[in-house]
Amino acid sequence: MAKSADGARAQGPPFPAGSVARGASRPRPAEFDLISRVWKSLSSMRLALVLILALAAVVLAGTLLDQAPPSVIADQAAYDQWLERARGRYGGWTVVFDRLQLFNVFHTLWFRALIALLALNIVVCSLNRWHGIWTTVFHTRVRMGEPFFQHARFRATVATTMPLDDAADRVRRALSGSRYHLKTDAAEGSVALFADKNRLSRFGTFFTHLSIVLLLAGTVVGGVWGFKDPEFVVSEGSTRPLGLGTNISVRLDHFADEYYLDGPPKDFRSDVVLFENGKQVKQGTVQVNSPLRYKGIAFHQAFYGQTAVMKVQDKTGKVVFNDGVPLAWQTREGQRPVGSFNLPEQNLSVYVVGPRSGETDPMIPAGEMRVEVYRQESRAAAPQNLTQGKPGDLAGLTFTFERESRFAGLKVVKDPGTSIIWVASALMVLGMVMLFYLPRRRLWALCKAQPDGTTTVLLGMPAQRDTTLAGDFDSVRSKVARALGADDTSNPLPEGDDDA
Amino acid sequence: MLDLSHYAFVAAMFALAGAFLLYMVSAVAGRTVHGLSLAGGPAAVTASDDRPVSGRYATILTVNAFVFLTASLTFRSIESGHGPFSNMYEFSLAFSWGALALYLYFETRYHLRTLALVVVPVALGLLLYATTVPDGIDPLVPALQNSLLLTIHVAVAILAYGAFTVAFAAAVFYLIQRDNSLRWLPRKSVLDEIGYRSVIVGFPLLAVTIILGAVWAEIAWGSYWTWDPKETASLVTWLIYGGYLHARVMRGWRGQRSALLLIGGFGATLFTYYGNLFFGGLHSYG
Repeated sequence: MAKSADGARAQGPPFPAGSVARGASRPRPAEFDLISRVWKSLSSMRLALVLILALAAVVLAGTLLDQAPPSVIADQAAYDQWLERARGRYGGWTVVFDRLQLFNVFHTLWFRALIALLALNIVVCSLNRWHGIWTTVFHTRVRMGEPFFQHARFRATVATTMPLDDAADRVRRALSGSRYHLKTDAAEGSVALFADKNRLSRFGTFFTHLSIVLLLAGTVVGGVWGFKDPEFVVSEGSTRPLGLGTNISVRLDHFADEYYLDGPPKDFRSDVVLFENGKQVKQGTVQVNSPLRYKGIAFHQAFYGQTAVMKVQDKTGKVVFNDGVPLAWQTREGQRPVGSFNLPEQNLSVYVVGPRSGETDPMIPAGEMRVEVYRQESRAAAPQNLTQGKPGDLAGLTFTFERESRFAGLKVVKDPGTSIIWVASALMVLGMVMLFYLPRRRLWALCKAQPDGTTTVLLGMPAQRDTTLAGDFDSVRSKVARALGADDTSNPLPEGDDDA
Repeated sequence: MLDLSHYAFVAAMFALAGAFLLYMVSAVAGRTVHGLSLAGGPAAVTASDDRPVSGRYATILTVNAFVFLTASLTFRSIESGHGPFSNMYEFSLAFSWGALALYLYFETRYHLRTLALVVVPVALGLLLYATTVPDGIDPLVPALQNSLLLTIHVAVAILAYGAFTVAFAAAVFYLIQRDNSLRWLPRKSVLDEIGYRSVIVGFPLLAVTIILGAVWAEIAWGSYWTWDPKETASLVTWLIYGGYLHARVMRGWRGQRSALLLIGGFGATLFTYYGNLFFGGLHSYG
């Protein structure tokens, strides 16, 4: 098929304007050779195609294969364990996939390099096309010679008994009526017209391509100046500093979940209060479709779970800790909910393990919490199960599991790149509307005075690659013919030379 | 309301089955549909008189099916209080609706019925599939409780998919039509043009779908892009049609290679649509 469209056009007329010869090879000094070669390969559509296909393949792999969550990637031990589980699924391929970083495709350096290369490719392509498009848009010949009208892909001849000036005037009015913008070149015995509609349409291509580069820039801005904590947990009644370089703390007043009668969740709601430098700055409810926003930081409802409210006293009875401990993680063996807190003065870390949910747990009966105390990496006391309300002694301290409560898991995100993303999106839609729905149409006319005082009007429209213009030309032709009081059957279109 | 919706659905299915039969009769008996004016100028209007009656009734039945389907979806929306886009049953009806909407637009515009031979079976297949999945009204889980975005995001997607279905039909017939020798099919240039026209409808709509999805994801999930399987699949679909448009404008690709791209694109569309059945991910609601 390669021949069909191009072949047909190759025999056609020379393109009127703006068919700028690209990359004419003039002899150049050697040092420019490398640069121009790099430039040339960066500006090739083939590179774009290869990059897009490569990205598609990578993305497909990233979709089909399980991806290790970021928290697992950050922790080598957790990742090793994750890989072990993956081995059950992918067998011997696990090593290969791991080497190729296919379990974390979207965050690898080479994936970002591919995207950066694509952005560069788009920029270079756009720069290369700028001159050509600028020329076709703004520097167009008004007067076309007769050969153009004999060979144009769409052409017509209309004869009228009107004198030249009248005829030209009517043609002008007919074309203006079809939203064409006109340029006139009057000479002795003839009037040449160039009619142009939506001439800025082609600039849409710069908007769409610029928007893609902006999108990529937006992700970079977000990555560099933004932060994210996908698992910020805070128990009911507790206040926790957000960290991440802010002076913000979050207090959870109440978490609520609601369910439909037959089981599916209906609503998750966290009533939170934000403090900055100790002062209350914002209060609100976080719901799944309604995050709380403060100074560019968004708090999203992500998950929730069980909290054990613990009290720890030293020998003198002084309370050294009294707060909710969110059991937001899972133990490696046993898959039990676990949370932890530190007692810096005693140099201890405390782990609180809850019973496995949904079944009777042989190790931890319902209503009890297991407390494990560590100093550095080693156990500071034998683990103990604590019944609610009954104190127990571990490592010289008295621990009490006071009651159960709940925590809210919030996803906290600051992404200053987001607004760039929305601007880029708008730009892309604008560009596509220009390109597809306000397409450029160019038409030339030549009104020639005949010796007998009548006028012949020649119309010509060059072919366009994206779409056939038969319909557009038909309607213009009949409009012009009507304006001239002529019938428009004088020059039917050649049939079928656009087919293979 | 739910009963009414169901009756309308069944009526749509029968109307569509009837329409399909009549389109086939029309295609076999008619053979007058080729070589019509592209823009639907005067030439196309005069041609309608010699066309077989079966074609006209096929169109009427399709319009009926479309109206029934619209009614079915509307009744469901009234009953559930949100756009009919929350489970596979509703998705399938909506996809079918989108395909019919875009098909009818192109039939009207180009005065061509041939494309129905592909689009109508696809639409019918979607309805038949819908009969195999649970058709209850599911309450919205928290992530979907955004009436405005749920409705626009999915409605735009449906129209994009419908446009790609029409492009697919045009591509299939392009490949069948050799050297313009099959007189019951439109000319190749017409099929090629319809393929292009439907892509320039579907491509921006898919872009808008993805953008609205990103807006929603930012609100509900906290980031505008997470490489969720459905996001990824729709991006790949979009890139395929983007490739088609670039190849056409920059390289003058037409015809067979373009047609194959359109068929691949439709494969990707179906994958995007039903991918959540295989992959889970954040979009697995159905």
